[in-house]
Amino acid sequence: MRKRIMPEKRSKKTILVDYLARVEGEAAIRVALAGHEAESVELRIWEPPRFFEGFLVGRSYQEVPDIVARICGICPVSHMSTAIRAIEKAMGVQPSPQVLLLRRLLAMSQLVSSHVVHLYALVLPDHEGYPGLPAMLEKYPQVVERLNRMRVPLNDLTKLVGGGRALHPIGTVVGGFTRIPTRQELRAARDAVAGIRQDAIETLKMVAEFDTFHFGTDREFVSIRNEDHFAVNSGEIVSNRGLKASEDDYYKYFSEYQMPYANTKQTRRNQTEPIMVGALARLNLKFDQLVPEAKECAQKVGFSVPDCNPFHNNLAQAIEIVHGIEDCIKIVESLDLKDEKPLVRVRAGEGGAITEAPRGLLHHWYAVNRRGVVEKANIVTPTAHNFMCIEKDLRGVCERIAEQPMKEIRRWCEILVRAYDPCFSCSVH
Amino acid sequence: MRKPRVGIFKYSCCAGCQFQIIYFIKHLKEVLGAVNIVYGKMETESDSADGPFDIALIEGAITEAEQADQLKRVRRNSKYLIPIGSCAVNGGIPAIKNMTTELEVETRVYQDISLMHSIKAHAIDEYVRADAVLRGCPVGERDLYELVTSLMLDKRPNMVEHCVCVECKMKGNQCILLTENVPCMGPVTNGGCGALCPSNARACYSCWGPMANANSSALARKFEEMGLPPDEVVRRFSLFGYPTFEFHKVAGAGR
Repeated sequence: MRKRIMPEKRSKKTILVDYLARVEGEAAIRVALAGHEAESVELRIWEPPRFFEGFLVGRSYQEVPDIVARICGICPVSHMSTAIRAIEKAMGVQPSPQVLLLRRLLAMSQLVSSHVVHLYALVLPDHEGYPGLPAMLEKYPQVVERLNRMRVPLNDLTKLVGGGRALHPIGTVVGGFTRIPTRQELRAARDAVAGIRQDAIETLKMVAEFDTFHFGTDREFVSIRNEDHFAVNSGEIVSNRGLKASEDDYYKYFSEYQMPYANTKQTRRNQTEPIMVGALARLNLKFDQLVPEAKECAQKVGFSVPDCNPFHNNLAQAIEIVHGIEDCIKIVESLDLKDEKPLVRVRAGEGGAITEAPRGLLHHWYAVNRRGVVEKANIVTPTAHNFMCIEKDLRGVCERIAEQPMKEIRRWCEILVRAYDPCFSCSVH
Repeated sequence: MRKPRVGIFKYSCCAGCQFQIIYFIKHLKEVLGAVNIVYGKMETESDSADGPFDIALIEGAITEAEQADQLKRVRRNSKYLIPIGSCAVNGGIPAIKNMTTELEVETRVYQDISLMHSIKAHAIDEYVRADAVLRGCPVGERDLYELVTSLMLDKRPNMVEHCVCVECKMKGNQCILLTENVPCMGPVTNGGCGALCPSNARACYSCWGPMANANSSALARKFEEMGLPPDEVVRRFSLFGYPTFEFHKVAGAGR
């Protein structure tokens, strides 16, 4: 190839994706490159804010789960259960062990189905060279069929436990569930979920073939951990750099900053440092708690911890799918259901809770008065936690492949952001 | 037969209705195979938002002036424009903020509000004409199929236009409002959900939005007789869409 003569020593170019497709919500990527150096990196989350924390003030505690479910169309269950737990802490409500187990089942079923749809509908087209899943229908009908086969039993399980529907379920309330499923219903749902084990392994094989390159520096992974199971609903905040704290001390370690170019506030650790949350963070911190089947699968595809490559977040999700299916089956088998109604005594107080949404750490905090009306609310979403880390990795990717054609740099920037499984709608809430 | 060209647009919402289309419907393959999604950022990469479209599906409420500008362009370039989901149909959850001043709501969330361009949350038909509406939060499967098949057969869709009570009766549920004294919004809420909440031992919370000609003041009076404080009553009538024509007598007309 003929060497091009550069007018300047350092060539300047701008990588711009003004409306990123196949992610939830609206955001743009802008990276200004000068030679091999990124001068500025901006993840411009331009989705208009909806001010949930603003209008939750003055609403009753009973409405809060239903309102916050509408923050996100993929992980409504996470928002509901985080809000419910925060309010229960504020009002001193102690749900029964059965409710806690059902909530774990609910969270797990949603986590797995969220990963499935993310990997198939949002990520897969990148690696097959298609603009989107609808275009793949003709050539890869079996892939769309597998997506369908997997999501139906998972959605049905979420629907059964959460009540009424899988998206914005209606039976999940402060104190417990309005209706406890019957044993027969749960068993039928379990058998249906057990029927997709093989599909989960096929999914993992498919994801292991995705394009990736060796990338990623050491970073702080944060997740919650509970000593007796792979925690999704409650636990201590832990990190690979020695953080170990109660969820009540959240604000001691993390703080939010408003950015001039984004409607999402950036969450930082110790005021300056990025953190990474999500499937990869969970596996890095809790690999020992995976079910043996998932560990075995991980070994087969060559995944081992510690793994700092953000592109491998997809792989981590696929491993979590295998784990989640087994976990759901186990929880159903350990349940001995009895009918009970949620019991709530309204009381003034403040409380915060942290859970693992499919895309990472989710924090809700509420202050309610003695009539159960919200006086203050704060919500920090997984994408707000990842915000700074995504920008840091965008910088890293661009600098690494700076000499490649623009199209290629753009493609990798998009793949990177999608790998994080961001939810911009959540993050601006 | 030429596949209808579909554009899907998202404004301020949770994107759940779009997800309902690619994710929650049982006949995903058939629906995706029957239409040609030419614009829909969450489904596919595409260049032009300018159409032309046979069908434009709009989810979300309008909360910025720019969105309204784009919406008007979409209207010009589309044969049918259909708001999907409660946010688009009557403002939905984002419209709760209309109960207080914009300044107040914004300062509760952001330190520097000079960077905000938000306006009051409005339904789609405040700005453009809508040819039909798909209610629900998220949109109902039954109505979604009805819409897709109607558009393909070129017939008028037959949407659910009765209150939740009708569906409750059809299911044979006992009325929880009368027998258990639970403040159920079923009598004034548009059906289509299949009376989900009352069937799951819970009061309807009006997520499908108000039904046309609903007698909201009578139900509000009933709630007050049941011992609900006035602010509780107002909250129930302002959860999905505020202000609405049907509920304004109870919940007020906004600021």
